[in-house]
Amino acid sequence: MMRYDEGTYRITEPGSFGTRSLIVGIAGLAVSAIGYFLNPAQFFHSYLNAFIFWFNIAMGSLFFVMLHHLVAARWSVTLRRLAENVMMQTPLMLLFFLPLLLGLHDLFHWTHHEAVEADLILQKKAPYLNITFFVVRAAVFFGVWNAVSVLLFKASLKQDLNPEEAITKRMRVISAFGIIAYAFTFSFASFDWLMSLDAHWYSTIFGVYIFSGSLVAIISFLVIVLFFMRRQGILRNMTTTEHFHDLGKLLFAFTVFWAYIAFSQYFLIWYANIPEETIWFRNRWVGSWKGVSLLLVMGHFVLPFFILITRSAKRKAVFLTVMAFWMLFMRWVDLYWVIMPGLQEQGFNLSWFDLTAFIGIGGIFVWSLLKRIAAHPLIPVKDPQLKASVEFISE
Amino acid sequence: MNTTAKDTKSLDNPGTPLITGNQSFHSVTEKISGIVEAKVSPYWYLAITISSLLALVFFGSIGYLVWEGIGIWGVNVPVGWGFAIINFVFWVGIGHAGTLISAILFLMRQRWRTSINRFAEAMTLFAITCALIFPGIHVGRIWAAYWMFPVPNQMGMWPNFRSPLLWDVFAVSTYFTASLLFWYTGLIPDFATLRDRAKTKWKRLIMGILALGWRGGNRQWKHYELAYLILAGISTPLVLSVHSVVSTDFAVSLVPGWHTTIFPPYFVAGAIFSGFAMVMTLGILARKIFGLEDFITVNHLDKMSKIMLVTGMMVGYAYMMEFFIAWYSGNEYELFTFLNRAFGPYAWAYWTMITCNVLVPQLFWFKKVRNSIGALFVISILINIGMWFERFVIVVTSLSRDFLPANWDYYSPTFWDIATFVGSFGLFLTLFLLFVRFVPIISMAEVKGVLPQADPHHTAKEQAKG
Repeated sequence: MMRYDEGTYRITEPGSFGTRSLIVGIAGLAVSAIGYFLNPAQFFHSYLNAFIFWFNIAMGSLFFVMLHHLVAARWSVTLRRLAENVMMQTPLMLLFFLPLLLGLHDLFHWTHHEAVEADLILQKKAPYLNITFFVVRAAVFFGVWNAVSVLLFKASLKQDLNPEEAITKRMRVISAFGIIAYAFTFSFASFDWLMSLDAHWYSTIFGVYIFSGSLVAIISFLVIVLFFMRRQGILRNMTTTEHFHDLGKLLFAFTVFWAYIAFSQYFLIWYANIPEETIWFRNRWVGSWKGVSLLLVMGHFVLPFFILITRSAKRKAVFLTVMAFWMLFMRWVDLYWVIMPGLQEQGFNLSWFDLTAFIGIGGIFVWSLLKRIAAHPLIPVKDPQLKASVEFISE
Repeated sequence: MNTTAKDTKSLDNPGTPLITGNQSFHSVTEKISGIVEAKVSPYWYLAITISSLLALVFFGSIGYLVWEGIGIWGVNVPVGWGFAIINFVFWVGIGHAGTLISAILFLMRQRWRTSINRFAEAMTLFAITCALIFPGIHVGRIWAAYWMFPVPNQMGMWPNFRSPLLWDVFAVSTYFTASLLFWYTGLIPDFATLRDRAKTKWKRLIMGILALGWRGGNRQWKHYELAYLILAGISTPLVLSVHSVVSTDFAVSLVPGWHTTIFPPYFVAGAIFSGFAMVMTLGILARKIFGLEDFITVNHLDKMSKIMLVTGMMVGYAYMMEFFIAWYSGNEYELFTFLNRAFGPYAWAYWTMITCNVLVPQLFWFKKVRNSIGALFVISILINIGMWFERFVIVVTSLSRDFLPANWDYYSPTFWDIATFVGSFGLFLTLFLLFVRFVPIISMAEVKGVLPQADPHHTAKEQAKG
């Protein structure tokens, strides 16, 4: 049981959940490590799937924080520190990225010399798709994300001591430049880590597609974290149903946004019917993959659309949390659907490593997040708009 | 509306009031009704004379087109889509800001929209009117234009439901209808104000009919606000769908430079970008001419500049992604198309587009620029030039060098192309001038809602102080 001091907004007793997550995480990773020896191709695909899932939550959070500063949002001030704590898991994600470098051959067809030599198109792409440049790019991406996250977090902690307007302004400036860097780095990371799994295939919207999913992921994640915090009596004095309502609206909006982007991608490729493009969707319409494709349409869009459009679904915290869990599950399915068909061509075949890698990275992610949550006040205590955020009414 | 009173305090920075000049409810009514009730200025007559002459050029050009045929335009093999389609997309794009401001900003509780939504919506309607004319005349046999609609007929002939051109007909006309209803709903309380202030019988009668018996009772407001909210909800997806559908005119094809998956959101961003630029141009003129500096404040212009900065960069992102993927695809036709855009015979158009849409808006980073009326006016016009060229680049460059080099040709517009395009501004401005003359250009009811006096705690607070 966590304990929390309502005066300082700090966690006084962290409770055992963090430690338990750590143990589960380590166990999950240990079991996954066996997979590395048993079936490396399956292991790396499962690992990539889990990595991207948690990475998208951290990245979505970075975006959420930057957006908060740029639009000078008030309602989300009490949620800002939570999002910042999630955002600060980016360095951890760098750590989790490193094992992928061992599996480039298992994941990416274009890393095989003989394949490139036999393939004219891959030869044309070689100046971009080669291991050295791939690693350099990843280093640049993480460099940018870490720099922006750390700068924002430091400024935010500084504001806790000294609520000058200059700090608010500084965070806004960092966010303005950060969000531009983010747009490009996130898109190219999506191209590198996901789109190039099928090295021939290309789609200009792909970066936006993965980005739209990460927005769904972070809002769902925030809903869940907020819900369980409040159940432990934490932040009860600083958040209200109104915050759930607004998070619910964003969850609805981003779900629709994801559907819009996903549909744009699918529809234009389907209609033009150019074989080199349709192959990607055709691979996801084979055997049992067809069921996954349909599950995405229904579960990632139709169902949440009709449920979340109602007012009460957004204002009942329990209900919204259930939906948030569902949407996170759908996020995982979506990434599974993007990643796995390259490995399992005839139909999906769930592996134990899908689960172990997921809880392995997730357990450590949650542990690290809880540690950070406990280290600082849970809200930006001196933010000039804090009062407005607590009192706001969602309409 | 329903976001008005309660959050006046908590959601708006008390330091920057939305409406300046210490207005009261009465002074708002006086100022805005005054514009339509005042004696007509000779400048207005001058302006409408010029604009209707231009509109005559427009209709004259169309008349000659109908008489003579599409041959008077520059379109030919391989560029079969020339100015008409460029202008259609351009005007539809302009028409995006109005409903975005009134619907999406409404749902997002952006209360600064109240000063600009009325004329932005009117602008939308007039821009869509201009837009709809172009595909209509582009069919050549204009008397058969009604075949664009699925009209049952004895020949059993139907439009191709799989064609995005047909979806355009539905998407744009739905958008026009919804925007018109939304605009009219917002106007009802203001028509009632004009009715109550009317000094002549005829005016009272006409305004009375338009006001639909509005009395401003509590129950009426309750229904009205609910209707407004629902209309905003219905209009919101339309804002996104219309230009997405327009983008499919290009993107479902096999033409390199047209067929790319980012087109729908990229077109929507571009449309919002150009629409805001036009709202800015007209807003700056309106505030200057009618002395509305207290209503359309520098603060409003500042916010609009920021939206243009964001959407301009989204468009820039799309330009870059298209170029990158054209290379990354390893498809020689894709790559050729983009190299040809940037360095081929139409390079001048491409770089005009890049300069106006990507480089110039970067000036909005500076508060000085965002607060300088002259700079904003010039930039907003440059953006519209840039966005017109974007459509030019898309339509013309891809077609002029298609898959068969033997077909390649350099497209140039004829006199009639240009006359029709310039003339369409005449129609647009004439409609806008008529609007300015007869309809309150700022929503009085909504602006009153964002005044400090609208806060239920206002009087109590003042009394406590006194």
